[in-house]
Formats: sequence, structure tokens, C-alpha cells
Amino acid sequence: MSDWHSWAAIAVFVVAYAAIISERVHRTAAALAGAAVMLTIGATDDTSAFFDERSGIDWNVVFLLLGMMAIVGVLRQTGLFEYLAIWAVKRARGKPFRVMTMLIVITAFASALLDNVTTVLLVAPVTLLVCERLALPAAPFLIAEVLASNIGGTATLVGDPPNIIIASRGGLTFNDFLVHLAPIAVVLTAVLVVLCRMMFRKALVYDEDRAGEVMALEEREAIRDHRLLYQGLAVLALVVFGFVAHPVLHYAPSVVALLGAGLLIAISKVETGEALKEVEWPTLAFFAGLFIMVGSLIETGVIGEISRALADATGGSELGAVMLLLFGSAVLSGVVDNIPYVATMAPITADLAHGFGGDGVHVLWWALALGADLGGNATAIGASANVVVLGIAERNRQPISFWQFTRYGLVVTAVTVALSAGYLWLRYFALS
Amino acid sequence: MRARDLAVEYESVRVDDGALEAARLMAEHQLPGLLVLDRDGEPKAILPASQVIKALVPAYVIEDPALAAVIDEKHADRLCDALRGRRVGDLLSDKAARPPIAAPDDTALEVAALMAQARSPLVAVADRDKAGLNLLGVITASQLLHRLLGHAEPHE
Repeated sequence: MSDWHSWAAIAVFVVAYAAIISERVHRTAAALAGAAVMLTIGATDDTSAFFDERSGIDWNVVFLLLGMMAIVGVLRQTGLFEYLAIWAVKRARGKPFRVMTMLIVITAFASALLDNVTTVLLVAPVTLLVCERLALPAAPFLIAEVLASNIGGTATLVGDPPNIIIASRGGLTFNDFLVHLAPIAVVLTAVLVVLCRMMFRKALVYDEDRAGEVMALEEREAIRDHRLLYQGLAVLALVVFGFVAHPVLHYAPSVVALLGAGLLIAISKVETGEALKEVEWPTLAFFAGLFIMVGSLIETGVIGEISRALADATGGSELGAVMLLLFGSAVLSGVVDNIPYVATMAPITADLAHGFGGDGVHVLWWALALGADLGGNATAIGASANVVVLGIAERNRQPISFWQFTRYGLVVTAVTVALSAGYLWLRYFALS
Repeated sequence: MRARDLAVEYESVRVDDGALEAARLMAEHQLPGLLVLDRDGEPKAILPASQVIKALVPAYVIEDPALAAVIDEKHADRLCDALRGRRVGDLLSDKAARPPIAAPDDTALEVAALMAQARSPLVAVADRDKAGLNLLGVITASQLLHRLLGHAEPHE
């Protein structure tokens, strides 16, 4: 790592990363500019950037995101989530803790299948309506939902963008995530419910008259297009089946998502242009730029050096490496966006897993996923969903301050990461 | 025809007046908007009726329009409660520009151009002197149209 290319690549990476964290420049612009400079200085080249599976743009990640965004964009138009949330609140008879539990469970479950930002964008407005009817402060409910979305997103390959990167770079399937992460995500969601009961006890005051106001909501009216709803649900079920049936069908998740999106557009009345409008193109470009930047660090040997240094730091202890990755990822993901963090750490994790003699499903991948996904709960800026909900709360004149969120987020992160550490130790070391 | 000849007396409110009273004024006189004056009595902004309507709609319905359908009629009828305790200034958008102001000698075309440029249903007519602006009146879009149509040839 002595040649100038390596040092130049590190400098470009640090500057671009700082620009992404500072949010003074749009993250897509920062990532693309970083990629452009990497290509200009020769830290990588077109062949590596566009065609190399190891150090180029991970097209599986980009197309999986594209497909899921298109499917979710159509599903959003059906009103299904609003229906489900109000239905659940009415089943809870307007009792605040039951309402909160229902909303946590719905958010966690939805986040496992959809991206977290979409989930909170759908759940937060309904929550504000319900809290207004119950004359309850919305902040505890909104905070609980954000925490639930980041925990629920941990459960599956498509639940959180870091998981998509981890799956692609680690060669992990949808079922691997279901077997290794979904069980702990279920436990952590249950723990979150208990923690919320303790943290928000004072805010959860029941008023019988107010509860009647919630029962007046007409959830059936939320479904705007029944035909589209059935079509969307059928396609989503097929897509999940396609993910789960990978051992038999051998379709990559990206192919399944693209086929699902194509099928939904073909059978529904939704125009192609309309469905593609829901795709967050700047996010996809951000991923492409990020992959080229990280690929440059791989090409110049920087990632290899960092991997070796980390392996040395853990003294060859696999448990030490797992815990370092879990806690280190949790801390760093609390302060920086977990997508660029995981994009950078994925090749390092692959090297470390290889060094420990495990190229397939390795516990290090689960440590990275749990640390990065759960760490996003630590602060108000730890994950995109947190920032989005704080914005919605402010626009609804129920502002949640940075510290108001963070003091609950830190507690939940500490408990969930500690439980995850216990889970990893027990399942992959003590009992294996 | 000059702006001073077109200007008429018009309902105005101050930024500190109650939002509910401003809405009532608009409804009673069927006005497309109100001229909002600052604390010194100078034109500060135009408050279009659509902006008042927007303030009635809960922000969460703006975030997710599907929720409009789930709100029962009894609650929908109580939307104006949202204006209670709020001032006219609270209803003005952060980006609200100063109202378009025509000089007394401006022609009808100049007034029309000003109105089109600002996309405002009202144009204030004011004299400017050392003491500041001296409001002479307001020209509404319908009044201006009426005046311009009066000169147009019938279609047949």
C-alpha cells in the first residue's frame, strides 16, 4: 500500500465520506464526485467499476432496490397500510399501551418486507391522527415506531438496505436471513414493547371518552382501489415466494424483485412511467457511486490492509472479531449513515470471514448486520427513518428534539445490541 | 383607465388578527383573498382563500391524503377548530412574498402583468412617498377582467 494511488484513494474516500456525513452536499453528488475522482486518478478503471463483481458496482443491490421501490410505490397507492393501522388501533379499543404495541408490531412486520423509510412514511401520519383522537402526545408513539422499523428491518434480506449489501457481498440468501436474523428480530421487537411500556408509562393515559373517538374512524374508506390491492398483495406474495424458493428456483433476489415489479405493472392499470416515478433514482446513483469508491479501495489494496490490521487486532479470536464488529458497527452506525458504512465494511468482513476459514454463511455477517441495523436507533440521525419521522413530527407541530429521541434511542440500542451479543455468542460459539 | 380608477376599498386584516375572524370575513364577503397589513399598516402579503383552506386540513392528511377518507363526517365538520388560537400571520407561508403593488398611474395592462407575474388574485394600489406607502385600494382579478372584457368585441 505504498504507491501513491492508495494514498490518493484514501484521501478521496475520506473527503467524500466527510461530505456525505456533513450533509452540506447532497449525498448522491458527494458519492458520484468521489467515484469520478477515483476513475480520473486511476484508482480504479471502467472495467472494474462496471463489470467486476468484487470491486465494481453491485448491480444485484441496485436492481433489487429498483424492483422493490417500484413494487412498494404501487402498494402505497392502495391504502392497505392505513387500513391495517386503523383496524389494529380499533381492535386495541383505544387503550394507549395496546395501541402502541399494535403499531410497533405492524411497523416491525412491515419493515421486514418494505424499506424502513416507506414504512414510517405510511405509519406516522396515521399515528398522528390516532394520537389527536386520543388526546395523547404523538412523540412516544412516533419514537417507538422508528425504533421498531429499524429492529424489524433487521429480520430479512430486503428489510434494510445494509442487509441487501451484506447479502450480495456475502453470498447470503433470503432464507439465511430468515434463519439467522429473523428469530432475534422477533425477540428484540418483544423487548422493545416492554421497554416502551417502561419508558413511556407516564404518557400512556387512557381516557374512555377519547377512545370512542378512535372507534369512529372508517378504516375501510382508506382502501381506494380494491383491485389494485389484490394485485399488489398477490405480487408481493409471489416475490416473497421467489425469495424463499431460491434453493429450488435459483433466481437472484434482484431478478425476483424486477420480475415482480414488471408483473405488477403489466397486470395493473398503473402506467410504467407512474411506477418508475416512485423509484428513488438519486439513491440508486448514490449506491453506484459508493460501490465505485469502495471498489477503488479494494483495487488499490487498502481494504486488504485494513482487514489484516483488524484480524491482527482481534489476535485471531473469532469471538473477539464478532464482538468488535457488532459493537463497533453499532457505535458508528449511530453517528454515520449505515449504508456507506456497510458498503465499506462488507469487503473487510468478507476478508475476515475468509481468514477464519468460513466463506459461506459466517457469523461475522450477522454481527455486521445486527450492529449496523440496530445502531441506527442510537441517535436521531442514525438512520434515514429517524430523520424522516422527526420531519413529519415537526410539520405536524409535535416536534421531537434530537435529545428527546436520542435518550430513548440509546437505551433501546444498548439493550438490543447487548442481547444480540448474547444471541451471537450463545448460538454460534457456546452451542455450536 | 389607470390603476387609481380601478382601485376599490377592500377588506384587509393585520398580521396579529385572529385567523378564524379572517376566514369568516372571507366567507361572508365571498372574497378570493385578503390583503394582510403589517403592524405599521403597510401591505405585507396577500392571504389567498386556498391558503386558509390548507390550514384547515390536518398536516397528517397532507402527508398521506388517503387519511382524508377515514375521517368521519362529524370530525370533518369541525375542521375550522384548527384556526382557533391562531393568528393571520401563522397562516402566511414562510415564502409569502410582499403583495404585488401597482402605482396609481399604472395602466390596466401593467396591473394585469403584475397580477399574472405574482399569480395573485389581488393587486394593491399604493402611493409611495417619504413616509412610506399610502394604500389607495385594491384591484381584484374579477374586477380587472370585468373592465377588460368591457372593451372586448362580442364573439358573434
